[in-house]
Amino acid sequence: MSVMVGQKAPDFEANAFHNGGFKKVKLSDYKDRWVVVCFYPGDFTFV
Amino acid sequence: MASVAARYDDLKKLDVEVLSCSVDSHFTHKMWQEHELSKMVEGGVPFPMLADTGGKIGTLYGVYDEAGGVNVRGRFLIDPDGVIQAMEVLTPPVGRNFAELVRQVQAFQHVRKTGEPTPAGWQPGKKTLKPGPDLVGKVWENWKIGD
Repeated sequence: MSVMVGQKAPDFEANAFHNGGFKKVKLSDYKDRWVVVCFYPGDFTFV
Repeated sequence: MASVAARYDDLKKLDVEVLSCSVDSHFTHKMWQEHELSKMVEGGVPFPMLADTGGKIGTLYGVYDEAGGVNVRGRFLIDPDGVIQAMEVLTPPVGRNFAELVRQVQAFQHVRKTGEPTPAGWQPGKKTLKPGPDLVGKVWENWKIGD
């Protein structure tokens, strides 16, 4: 693992789909908020 | 993702934002939302769905499976200082337990506010511990399994 609890979460930027539109999302946009980042294998899969 | 979307309000109440992330493009996320997710959950997924094309973000977080070309199920809880407080990583066939995510958020928020550590299985309103010299060797008197 390249990350560790108690350490800073690496910042990232990505294209996102949100509320019917497209936008850029940066983790650092959410400074001062609690954030859950959920990775999953893929859209249209079953679990 | 539908199960997180269905209980998104629980996280909103705790002032937690969710970002979901897979190697699919934002265009595919749109299709998934319109053709499937919106039929599973009223209104579909309410949080940003990130396109991690090439698995760059997954690689940063150690959850990108190069052989499969996908991100495995990694969940990271990040506090307002940008510090990772919790992480959980599962292989793809087993889905997550949303209730445990909410419990962890409540526990970490409690610790952040009060400085009191929360014992195993802690839920809001349950007993916490007050660490100090007096507690050494006395946890058994102050806390029982199931408290």
